[in-house]
Amino acid sequence: MANGAANFVDQVRENRIWRSIFRSGTGDSNLRRALFVQQNVFLHLFSVKARRRTIAFSATWYLGALTFGTFLILVITGILLMLYYHPSVPQAYSDMKDLQYVVSSGVFLRNLHRWSAHAMVFLVFAHMFKVFYRGAYRPPREFNWVIGVVLLLVTLLLSYTGYLLPWDQLAYWAVTVGSNIASAVPLMGHKIRFLLLGGTAVNANALLRFYVLHCVILPFAAVLFIAVHFWRIRKDGGIYAGEASSEVTGK
Amino acid sequence: MSDETKPGAAPDSPEEMSRRQFFMKMGVGSVAVAALGTAVFGYQYLSPNVLYEPSPIVDAGKPDQYPPDSVTLDPQTAIYVVRTAEGFFALSAICTHLGCLTAYKPDLGIIACPCHGSKFNKDGVKIAGPAPKPLPWLRMWLNEDGNLLVDRSSAIAIKQLVRV
Amino acid sequence: MSDSKDFVAVVDSDAKKTPKRIAFITRRTSPQVRVRDEERVMTYPEVFFRTAAAIEVLAIGLVVTSLLWNAPLEQLADPMHTPNPAKAPWYFLGLQELLHYFPPVVAGVLIPGLVVMALIVIPYFNINIQGEGLWLRNKAKRLRTFAVVVIVFCVFLAIFEVWVALVPTLIVAAFMLLAAQTDPQIATGYRASLARKPLSFWIMTWFLFELVVLTAIGTFFRGPGWSWVLPWRA
Repeated sequence: MANGAANFVDQVRENRIWRSIFRSGTGDSNLRRALFVQQNVFLHLFSVKARRRTIAFSATWYLGALTFGTFLILVITGILLMLYYHPSVPQAYSDMKDLQYVVSSGVFLRNLHRWSAHAMVFLVFAHMFKVFYRGAYRPPREFNWVIGVVLLLVTLLLSYTGYLLPWDQLAYWAVTVGSNIASAVPLMGHKIRFLLLGGTAVNANALLRFYVLHCVILPFAAVLFIAVHFWRIRKDGGIYAGEASSEVTGK
Repeated sequence: MSDETKPGAAPDSPEEMSRRQFFMKMGVGSVAVAALGTAVFGYQYLSPNVLYEPSPIVDAGKPDQYPPDSVTLDPQTAIYVVRTAEGFFALSAICTHLGCLTAYKPDLGIIACPCHGSKFNKDGVKIAGPAPKPLPWLRMWLNEDGNLLVDRSSAIAIKQLVRV
Repeated sequence: MSDSKDFVAVVDSDAKKTPKRIAFITRRTSPQVRVRDEERVMTYPEVFFRTAAAIEVLAIGLVVTSLLWNAPLEQLADPMHTPNPAKAPWYFLGLQELLHYFPPVVAGVLIPGLVVMALIVIPYFNINIQGEGLWLRNKAKRLRTFAVVVIVFCVFLAIFEVWVALVPTLIVAAFMLLAAQTDPQIATGYRASLARKPLSFWIMTWFLFELVVLTAIGTFFRGPGWSWVLPWRA
């Protein structure tokens, strides 16, 4: 019976329509495994082979992948939450209450979004420190480290802009404090604050700007830099494997 | 290599299932359950439980304000209150063709739609034009205060009149 | 090849010849060139399923957390009523703690700006690729420089009464001195590994320590009016 199921899967995979979409074919061969990665528009950002030492947990603690995982969770939950959220004052707050009490699974999705956001900030820092302590920032990987710092800033900005959206006391005053810090930049500070808020006070314009930043501009930037970040890993020779204890050919 | 080490290979006897096959089945089964659960919860999330729209129940006021043998349009709620010798009834004023607001022409005694020329008589029956269905009759009743109430969300199949 | 030591590299545009890869290895380049060849595995399934499993574990943890704990939602924003204390999100609380001691230009702009620039510049410095231990060469001279830097910095912190930053600095300095005292040839275990750490390690560890301490203080130990509170008493 189990054999019959396996045969059925194989038959589906041999089917003409299937093969026109997925060209990897059937069978257990390294060719097929290579094609699975190489022929896929998303996966072919990765190389077909990887060094064995880099895939162990102890190498990276998978922190980079986990950060990307939280990003995916945030994008999905964020898009779903957008369906019930109006970025206007004071409607935004009513919508938060709606999500908590009226919308099916609303409280779960909002919680998941919030905790994933905290997790992502934490994981981004952890990833940065782990990369540093492994020495994976050294040449030829310098520029990828810089891209990582940029991604750190994008993450912090995403978290900061999202913080305002519930329009509760916590949000409003956190952003007020933050925007006043921005105005402390010499010469340009007040201009920066004015552009950020779309005005002189944290009001409806500020909410709309932070909404667009949080949902459109910064996610775009994040996706772009993430793509470059992954690509650079590949072009720099794959994930840094560390000093080899064996096979050192001598100085 | 013996056959048993090949992935997905048949075990020795038909009743046995190898560990690999068992875990494959568990894996596929739980993914199926999770997908089903996600679909159900996703559908429930996407359908709003509360609508911030005006109530479908319209208060048409006291019956006396409507002259005998009249067809009165309320453009805000898109209903006709029709008073005949036998009693009151309510029609939806929304053309059944593509949703335009119709108008009553008293000199011609018909209801006409400005968009594509559909024409209906005072019973809502279509007499001309591309509209596929007649104007629906809406449920109407008298409440305790003696006001006429119309429910725009419930069309009635059997044409009943409200007698006052 | 007849003479393997002396050879001249030329540029050849003959496309029919199979290109030969030549690597010129000078000092201060990638540390990975030492490994000649290495075992590789297929991305699918090795990398793919490990990554998927890691993300799944993360997702389970986050889902369980979301089912058990609610994200906070306070009252509607009221511009006329400032809560006391008005705290930034947790990842900015370290900064907000620094704001207590320094003016906004310094704590809000200068220090974060310097931190970001320092982070960006790290890999471009003429750095110690081999990761050579700080105290393994020129120990006396380096100890003198170390003493001057630490003392000046600590005096600066003391003048501004930034005790929360001073204590971690002193602790890290103590560990650095411990490393300086240790002879890597003789010592074993933890002390030996400390003795071999390069300067970049010490600076980054100091930064991480300060980050954790400042954020923890801003989160747990600051109450109304940014006054000092003990969280177990509040």
